[in-house]
Amino acid sequence: MSDAVAYYVITLLVYMGCNVMFVLGLNLQFGLANIINFSYYILVAVGGYFAGLVVLGPPQPVESGGTEYLFGWTLPWPLPVAVAGLAGAVLALLVGIIAVRRLRSDYLAVATLVVGDVAWLLTGNTTSVVNGWNGLTGIPQPLADTLNLPQLQYQWVYLGIVLGFALLSFLIMQRLTHSPFGRSLRAIRENEYTAAACGKDVFRLRMTAMVIGGAIAAVGGALFIEFIGTVQPSMWNVPETFVIFAALIVGGRGNNWGAVLGAILVPVGFLEGSRLLPQDWIDPNLIDPLRWIIIGSVLILVLYFRPQGIFPEPKRRFRKILRQLAVDEGPGRQIHRRTEELP
Amino acid sequence: MDLLLPTIGFGLVTASILALAAVGFTLQFSVTGVVNFAFGDLMTVGAYVAWLVNTGLHWNIWVGAVAGMLFLAATSVIMNRLLLQPFIRKRTDLFGLLIVTFAFGLIVENALQAIFGPNYQSYNYSPSSSVGFLDMTFTVNQLIIIALAVIVMLLVHGLLRYTKVGKAMRAMADDPALARACGIKVARITDLAWLISGALAGLAGFVLVLNTAAFAPSTGEGFLLVIVAAAVLGGVGRPYGAMAGALIVGLVTEVSATIIPAEDKSVAAFVILILVLLLRPQGIIAAARR
Repeated sequence: MSDAVAYYVITLLVYMGCNVMFVLGLNLQFGLANIINFSYYILVAVGGYFAGLVVLGPPQPVESGGTEYLFGWTLPWPLPVAVAGLAGAVLALLVGIIAVRRLRSDYLAVATLVVGDVAWLLTGNTTSVVNGWNGLTGIPQPLADTLNLPQLQYQWVYLGIVLGFALLSFLIMQRLTHSPFGRSLRAIRENEYTAAACGKDVFRLRMTAMVIGGAIAAVGGALFIEFIGTVQPSMWNVPETFVIFAALIVGGRGNNWGAVLGAILVPVGFLEGSRLLPQDWIDPNLIDPLRWIIIGSVLILVLYFRPQGIFPEPKRRFRKILRQLAVDEGPGRQIHRRTEELP
Repeated sequence: MDLLLPTIGFGLVTASILALAAVGFTLQFSVTGVVNFAFGDLMTVGAYVAWLVNTGLHWNIWVGAVAGMLFLAATSVIMNRLLLQPFIRKRTDLFGLLIVTFAFGLIVENALQAIFGPNYQSYNYSPSSSVGFLDMTFTVNQLIIIALAVIVMLLVHGLLRYTKVGKAMRAMADDPALARACGIKVARITDLAWLISGALAGLAGFVLVLNTAAFAPSTGEGFLLVIVAAAVLGGVGRPYGAMAGALIVGLVTEVSATIIPAEDKSVAAFVILILVLLLRPQGIIAAARR
């Protein structure tokens, strides 16, 4: 493998690892807890920004050609990732105050879109916090100095770190999905009032999903930003959120395997794969619009022909339990016993 | 305070453009129950059609405006019939339909970019003279925009209040199943709602560009949230609420620009929207329903 190909493969796989984390976080929020959060990508962005802010050195004065930003603590790795996760969790809590409310889905979509837009405008228009529209640049890669490896070898190590985090997120998500917490979330999603009547604290459970999802997204964002070394508002706007939603819907919402597949197909396959097109075969100015046209069309087709996604959420578990009950006690007895207890 | 009156003037113009768009958006929503997130991009299409007629065929811009309205009225009906109705027949939920219109808007915007390129375009017309009124200064075009908005609002009011079709629309907004049971031709009224919404999107896109002079494929999409803010502020699906919402959002954005940095001016309207959604999600003018 030549160096250029190696770099390309590494970049693609790092993109994939980070996007898997983004889609998994959204799967917890939207797939399981049914929280409509169209400002999702600001959670990714806040992770990137905080990782950048604490890993960079102190800001240099603007007069001598420096830029303005907060912190600049030069923290050692993996502290920046932890800070990023915390920042994502806190921001998710704040967004959750709006997104977890019991409002109609169209109102929630509008409200969270507006939250994202306000965050985007304020970040861009304020230079003193994260250097406005120009953003942060020169964010160093973690452990590069300590490991002291040749550049290419170091990138392989970093890829390992990213894939490790992605795998960890997947295992955490699988665990959560099959835990009582995940079951409660699905119960709330299917019928909020019944779940509440069964004693589930609907608001707290959904908010927990929101916060954990936010932390996963932000950690993914931190790893992504540390890889490309820069973060600026042009990288996170409504279309980026849309891509993550598209990935989850195409892959299969509510299914972690679907989330992984969606992350590989939509952001990596369509957004990055289209870079592989031969440049003389198509006008380079057309590639970007065509990419979005294809993503939009694929999403519409999937919603029509396979609205549950490629890997639908498994639904058979409950039937299995019922059958088990039927074998244990016979079909009618349980119900019969229940009625006897009634006053 | 000497800045207040001129900014109110700007606010009135912005409010007029918004009102045209928000009423179209919300009227169609109330009748059909579909949130059309492609509305902003349809507005851009209206601006492009007017531009093509104006600079390509060298016709008067007002002819272009009418062409844009007609084109979009047709496009909206076709979009309803070919794109949305199949999903509605499959009983896709509100959120699914929202994603479909969002995706459609993305396709439209990028198709425009693929065809016309990302560059800014502008209409070809001689600049209009300006008129002073109190401390407010308007160009003649801006006065026309305000007049158009007033006329359209009166027409929408008349349609909803005094015609049989308007009555059918209100019935469908209240209870689609009951409306169908009463013999209202639901499909025809739905088409009509899309037709009106499309025509208003075309008109709104045209006047938006008439006011700001330059436009690009992303112009309408950037305006979408402000329209939706106006519609939600008045209570989604209430045309009269949308008129009031447009007035509030238009005035707030322009007047707040005298206090906060001008590039943050839409933030003020958005913050009000978020507060309204948190405290009074039925909209500020939630009339008691009969």
